[in-house]
Amino acid sequence: MGLLEKIEQYTNRGTDKVSNKTAYSKFIDLGFPSLKNEEWKYTSLKKIIANNFEIENQGEEITDQEIKNNSLDLDNKVVFLNGELYQKPTISGVKIEKNIDHSPKYNDAITALNAALAENGYNITVSENTIVDKPLEILFLTKNKSENLAQYRNEIIVKKNSSIKIIEQVKNLSTNLCFSNMFTNINLEEKAIIEFNKLQNNNESQIIVDNTNINQETGSNSTFNTLLFGGAFTRNNLNFSQNGERCESNMNGVVILDNSEFADNHTYMDHLKANCESNELYKGIYLGKSKGVFNGKIMVRPDAQKINAFQANNNLLLSDDSSINSKPQLEIYADDVKCSHGCTIGQLDEDAIFYMNTRGISKQDAKAILTYAFASDALNKISIPYLYDVAKDLISKKLNVDLSF
Amino acid sequence: MLKIENLKAVVDGVEILKGINLSVNSGEVHAIMGPNGSGKSTLSSVIAGDETYEVSSGSILFDDDDLLDLDPDQRAHKGVFLSFQYPVEIPGISVSNFIKAAITEKRKVLGLDPMPAKDLLWKMREKMDLLNMKPGYLSRNMNEGFSGGEKKRNEIFQMAMLEPKLAILDETDSGLDIDALKVVANGVNKLKNSNNATIVITHYQRLLDYIVPDYVHVLHNGRIIKSGGKELAHQLEEKGYDWITKLADEKWGS
Repeated sequence: MGLLEKIEQYTNRGTDKVSNKTAYSKFIDLGFPSLKNEEWKYTSLKKIIANNFEIENQGEEITDQEIKNNSLDLDNKVVFLNGELYQKPTISGVKIEKNIDHSPKYNDAITALNAALAENGYNITVSENTIVDKPLEILFLTKNKSENLAQYRNEIIVKKNSSIKIIEQVKNLSTNLCFSNMFTNINLEEKAIIEFNKLQNNNESQIIVDNTNINQETGSNSTFNTLLFGGAFTRNNLNFSQNGERCESNMNGVVILDNSEFADNHTYMDHLKANCESNELYKGIYLGKSKGVFNGKIMVRPDAQKINAFQANNNLLLSDDSSINSKPQLEIYADDVKCSHGCTIGQLDEDAIFYMNTRGISKQDAKAILTYAFASDALNKISIPYLYDVAKDLISKKLNVDLSF
Repeated sequence: MLKIENLKAVVDGVEILKGINLSVNSGEVHAIMGPNGSGKSTLSSVIAGDETYEVSSGSILFDDDDLLDLDPDQRAHKGVFLSFQYPVEIPGISVSNFIKAAITEKRKVLGLDPMPAKDLLWKMREKMDLLNMKPGYLSRNMNEGFSGGEKKRNEIFQMAMLEPKLAILDETDSGLDIDALKVVANGVNKLKNSNNATIVITHYQRLLDYIVPDYVHVLHNGRIIKSGGKELAHQLEEKGYDWITKLADEKWGS
């Protein structure tokens, strides 16, 4: 049975939910995106969807030791094992439950597919006037006996004057391919603050397509850090929508890929209201035969006067066979705004390498230090010191050097 | 300590150094002077190991090693230091982290553990005092947004931290006002001892009022055409280079 037939069968599996069926119809109408779709021009799903994915979970046992090994081991953890909520913390002012939202929040085939099939995910609600001190770790672990297509549908609501910091990881512990189709909707109410860190340090059997929508009300502040250090195929769609004035949206990305890894970061910043700000900084480092795509769009609507929008995408190609396609886009319909965007693609500075050599630093270490330095301004946006150290360690491993300075 | 014999170097098919001979012993200060384009910076780059220059013949003996067999970082580990005419900006790495990385690598090669952070910091403070540097320096990114004078001071600071046997100061005076020049020269003089040596490369005599050389060499058209004591620098200041370069051009052609 092909993947499409399996999807149809699963959608009709005796549930009567109309919402699932509506989403399914939408998915069938649109079909999996092909290279002809402008948003998927450099990102092919063809080979991926030819895999023999099962949709039914056939999970193997995941031990506590495995959870420990694959988590950051923070005090507050939400853990999903093979699609089921396994563990959640008790935090004052924070409600964490299984998500049952299937409202038709989809704008393309992938998110429609998610709405049609997803049965799991989290719903986190932070009550008004609540500052959550400790970062919350969210972990999705899967270990399947077969190749698996998994969907999670999540929602985060941060109410008025509240703030939370989150670190999320999606990991496949099996050597069987896992295609994780993630959807997360985040609503920030008035003056709410969120820092969301997505740590994507995955192995060759992990495929991720992630869609995250962040809806911001007046005076809210969001920071989204994407730390992408590995994975066979990763596609992130990050959509911000500023629905109130005086909002701030920050997105930072550090992408380091090697071998034949692939990652595509699509961001969409929608400035709907006046007096807001957005900052975007993505740094890409490509080794081996890895390929990257960056597509950042800033939309400035007619009402979005006096906004500041900044976007930069800088890339280092460290091997002959690596590549990056970068596309910054700016659409402005307001006349009193400050916007800038830029994109660079280059190699390491040979003069700097020689300079460091003359100080006794070997070529290999000089390259690694310069590479690390290249990524550092995006990395410095992480406000959780422990996560910063973890990210630094992962980068040193990826670059095969000691960066303990 | 350093013995350069018949050194020839080529860049893009053009011979820049045409047979340099130079001996430097421990405890000595040598000045290399010469007009623009004479090969001064090429000589310092070749000693440090810049691969832009192809060495076509000759040798550079440093103690028992031929530097030409070593990579630039290995030369640094042996005790060669080049103060750059144009120090490179390295965004994203602080001065303290940069120096820590350099010292740690050198110690690793010598089979030593990394210097304890406290000792390292103490040493940095001490050397910064020597050069009248403000503590904020350490956390600034390496040379990024530094003024010309700050960059040069940072070069001598690195020299003070790395304690080389042979320091080559390439046009260290350029970009320095007179007060900064005095501070830098004072730093260099304090670092001088009987076990190390300094080569000062300069266009003008000005720096040599503060770092007094034992020997002065005039480089012209890729050759050392005259050597003498410190009085030679004064003669050059008075008379310019023409009177010796003319003689040399008659001998070797211009």
